[in-house]
Formats: sequence, C-alpha cells, structure tokens
Amino acid sequence: MKKTTYIEGITEALDEEMERDEKVFLIGEDIGIYGGVFKATKGLLDKYGAERVIDSPISEVYIAGGSVGAAMVGLKPVAEIQFADFITPSMDQIIQQMAKMRYRTGGQWTCPMTIRVCCGGDIGGGLYHSQINEQWFFSQPGLVVVMPATPYDAKGLLKSAIRGDDPVIYFEHKRLYRWIKENLPEEDFTVPIGKAALRKEGSDVTLVSYGLMYHRSMEAALALEKEGISAEVIDMRTILPWDREMIFESVKKTSKAVLVQESSKTGGVMAEISASITEEVFDFLDAPVARVCGLDVPAIPFAPPMEHLFLPNAEKISKAVKNIIEY
Amino acid sequence: MPINKKKTVDSKANQISLPKKTMLGLFDNLLKTRLLDERFRKLYRQGRFAGTYFSAVGQEATTVGPTYGLRDEDIIAPSHREIGANVTKGVPLDKIIAQVYARESSPDKGKSHPCHYGWKAKGVITPSSTLAGQTVVGTGCAMGFKIMKKDNVVLAFFGEGSTSRGGWHEALNYAGIHNLPIVYICQNNLWAESVPSTLQAGIEDFSDRAKAYGFPGITIDGNNVFTVHKTASEAISKARKGEGPTLIECKTYRWYGHSEIDPADYRTQEELEEWKRKDPLQIAEKILMDLKILTTTKREALVEQINQEIDEAIESVEKDAYAAPEEAYIDVYSEQFPVKRVDW
Repeated sequence: MKKTTYIEGITEALDEEMERDEKVFLIGEDIGIYGGVFKATKGLLDKYGAERVIDSPISEVYIAGGSVGAAMVGLKPVAEIQFADFITPSMDQIIQQMAKMRYRTGGQWTCPMTIRVCCGGDIGGGLYHSQINEQWFFSQPGLVVVMPATPYDAKGLLKSAIRGDDPVIYFEHKRLYRWIKENLPEEDFTVPIGKAALRKEGSDVTLVSYGLMYHRSMEAALALEKEGISAEVIDMRTILPWDREMIFESVKKTSKAVLVQESSKTGGVMAEISASITEEVFDFLDAPVARVCGLDVPAIPFAPPMEHLFLPNAEKISKAVKNIIEY
Repeated sequence: MPINKKKTVDSKANQISLPKKTMLGLFDNLLKTRLLDERFRKLYRQGRFAGTYFSAVGQEATTVGPTYGLRDEDIIAPSHREIGANVTKGVPLDKIIAQVYARESSPDKGKSHPCHYGWKAKGVITPSSTLAGQTVVGTGCAMGFKIMKKDNVVLAFFGEGSTSRGGWHEALNYAGIHNLPIVYICQNNLWAESVPSTLQAGIEDFSDRAKAYGFPGITIDGNNVFTVHKTASEAISKARKGEGPTLIECKTYRWYGHSEIDPADYRTQEELEEWKRKDPLQIAEKILMDLKILTTTKREALVEQINQEIDEAIESVEKDAYAAPEEAYIDVYSEQFPVKRVDW
C-alpha cells in the first residue's frame, strides 16, 4: 500500500497499461516534453518514446478522430483533451465516429479507445477552464462515460477503460487531482465500468452524485448525521451506462432522493436519473426527487463569489435534504 | 481543363507505360462501376429500395484509378460517392447491393445508409455522412500503421467541398508533420451539392492546399483512369516507403444530382454536355481500342458478363430479409453493456 493522489493514480494507470500492452499510446497537447499541463503524463515520454507519447498540434478534431482511426487498425489510443472546455471542436469525431463506429459498421469495426478529459470547477478557473459538459456525452448511446471521485477509482477505472472494447470518455476532475490521498494496493487492480459505489449506508435519504460532488455529498451526509438524519451516499463512478439497480434499490429503501451534479441543472445527467426514479420506483417515494445542481448559466463564472453561488456544496445539499425530509 | 502548372501529367505518355493487364483491369472495374451505378438509379426509380441514391456516374475514374492494385490490408477512407473504390477493392457485388437495399446481409446489417458502402475484410471503412469525417479517421489509421511499423497505406477520398472543413485541415496538417502513409484523393467535381467550387475556395486548384502542409499536391485529369492510376500508384508507393503523403486533385464531374432527389438545376445544360463528352468510360475505351487491347466484341462480352453478375446479385439480395427490428439494439456497445430494451 502506498499513499497516492488522484493524479498519481492516473499516471500510474497510464504507465502500467503502456508497460503491459505495447498497443497503448498517448496523444494530446503538451503531454510529452512538458508532461501534461497538470503533469498527468510526467516521465512517460522518456520511458516510452515519442512514437507512443505524442505531442499533438492544437488539433482537437484530430486528437479525437485520429485516435478513432488508430483504434480501428488495432491500437489502444488514450487521448487527452487538456480542458473539457476545449472538447467542442472534437464533437463531430466523438459523436459521429467514435460513438457510432461499432453500430454503423454492423460490428465490423470497433473503437476501443479512451479520451481523458480534464474537467471541473472550484479551482478559480473561470468561464473557460471550469466546464465539464458531461451531459453532452451522457446523451449519446455508444459512448461509455466515467468520472472517478477517488484515487483508487481514478486508477482502476482508467485501467478498465483502456483494457475494454468500448469508446470511453474519462472525466478527471481537476479539483481532485492533489486534494485527496489514498492507500492503493501495490498489485494490479481494476474498477468495473457500469458499477456505482455505495460509499455510506443510510436510511432516511439517498444522495446520488459523482466526481467532486460525491465529496460534497459525503460532507453533507456527515454533517446531517450529527443532526440525526441518516443519508445513504452513492458515488455513480460510471455515468453511462449508469448503475440503475444500485440507485433504485437505495431509493426503495430510503424513499427519498437528492441528486447532486456540478454542471447546469437543465438537461443534465440528474434530470435523467430523476425521471428514471419516477418511472421505475415511484411507489416507494415519500417526497419529490430533489436536485442540487450548477446554475443554469453558460458556465462557471470567474469571480469567487459568483463561482461559489454556482457550485453545489455541503450546505446547499443539506438544505435540500431537510426540505424533502420535511415534505 | 486547368491542369496544375507544376506537375502536369502527360496522360498519353502514361497510358502507354502501363501494363496491358493493368489497363484491362482498370477498364473492367470502371465498366462494372458504371453499369452497377446506372442500375441502382433505375432500381431506385422502380421503388425497389428505400431512401435515396447517390450516383457517382461521371467521376468513376477518380475512385477506380487509385484503388486498383491496393492490398486487402490497405484502408479506404471513403465518403458517399466511392462505389468505384468498393468495386475495385473487391467488395463483392452482393455486399454492395445489400447495403443499398438495407438487408440483413449488408455489412452494416441495414443500419447506416444506402451509399455508405464498407467492408472490413477488404479494408473499406463504412463512412459517416459528415463530410471530411473519414479524412480525419483515415489519417488516424495511417498514424496507426506508422506506429505499428506496418507498410500499409490509406487512401482517403473526398470532394472539393470537404476541403473547406476544419477537420480536413487538421488531418492533413498532422499527416504532414509525421509523414504518414496516406494519399488524399480530392474529387473536384465542381459542385458541392449546389455550391460551385468558386464559392468553396479562393484557389482554382485544390491541390494547392497541400503546400501549407509540407507535402506535394498534384492536379490531374480525373476522367482518364490511366492517368489517375499512374499518378496515384506513384504516390501510394511513396507513402508505403515512408516518404509521406500526397494530395491528388482529380478534376471531374458528376453527371446527375447530388442524390436522386436533386434535379441539379443549379448548373447549365451546356456545362453538363461538355463534361459528358469527356466521359471517363469512353476515354478509357478509346485508348484501349486505339492500342488494340480492346475490341467491340470483347467489350460487348464484358458488358454482358457484368450485367449477368449484377442480375444474379440483385436477385439474390432481393430475396434476403431485413434484419429483425431488434437488431436496432445490437452493436451499440460490446457485449459487456447490453442496451435496455423498451417494452412496447
């Protein structure tokens, strides 16, 4: 066991998978000589050479689409999009090629590749360095979308993504990179895609979230515990395809759900989870499903007071829980 | 016709330098492509398949020429008017026809689109409809070949209109940096649906674009299949040897509308007639007959034989069923993630 940060978990996963399988290669902006703007790929150029750690030009269309082509001829690309805010040029390649390759070719061609996307707010990044936009990918069947919240999951989910046969959008939250450390096993491990984690058992309400918002939900749950409210906390880990069973089972038990999401509320992931809870386990509900989400404004504003207003936090989550408990 | 000043190809010199077998092979594929394409137009009018149809009649030499002689492992990154590349790469007629008919026997099982031909066994990528999309993906395939140190090459096909797309430029820029084993074939048929090439770019020869990416750009007569083959083959062997990409602009013309629902009334009858006089099939025929490689009798026998193959393939495909509707749930993900089915 050794203390590892979230970003170290990512670096280790890349290193170990490149070591394990020579078909794995990396491509992205500033990932080679510079080791990545957040240093996620530090040391890998020296170890694996420029053919497997490729400093790309500023070409997000190519980073995504070139990786699709390389995956089709037998490689295992791991692309990096430096900031989720800059993924928009890649959308054509992600949506029309990567997500649909297996489907549109009748399963002849597949696209086993991973795009790592550095994302998220609460870092003072301003309007164009704080976005996630996971809802765009969540609404595209054919893609797998994951967002780890812990160093263990960061490492284990990335390994599963690289080893799998499906195209994966892997969101890594910048606020988590060096915030938490965790003891990780020395031996090889993976975290299954499609399975959520039950982080805390509870009986009064279910809190569902992922990424940084899992930590905010857990902070709220611990605070609520002191006030006699028992919250169950689920970290989704995989956003698409999501773990319906775990969420439904928990809601059946607690009869209340508060869904927490960093991105804007309208059309977000939690809108779908909420609708599905209503469709599938309505009879078990004792109160309307509540959502605590980012504001419905274009993105996270720069000035700290505005960023604070935008983002869900433990206090806002606790308030939402109390509201539905009193319902 | 404007031919690039830098690298003019003397088609007369080239046609003679090709082996007889190659010339006949090219003609055979050109003829087969033409007969199949015209047959599809007829079948569409008879309501024998759904949707629409995108004819490539008039510009077949641009796809047949470069593809002839490729290996199975070489990749074709097509758009929607590359029926000739499929025929020439050796995709069986019944696969091509099943694609148009959206049958279960189609390589895509009826999921994509009538003219999105593709078959992995022959290295043809089933395309998307977003233009220049496969130019990016094909460049990625070439990157893959280079990383794996395989001497396969990629042929990427697109129209002049696609060269206005940002992704197209990102792909060629990348290919130039890394000297990728890819040949880009621009089929400049003067019209991007209804928009003339003069409104597409401020240059006359689209091959000029290659200059910005550090590799050669050549403009040729796209209606002479022998010229196209000769030029493309040189570029392909260069790419295979690791000497980098080439952009070849083939000046050509599509005889019919963008698809069968387009009357193509944006262009003049005179322009169409002028290009019909430069019919790639007649040009090839004349050259072969002048060289005494082909006779009228031999040509007629070939037409009869190809038509019979087409008849048989159509008859067989028309008996094929559509895939069961539940096929819609398949191949979204690997088997690890089955799609939730609706219960209505």
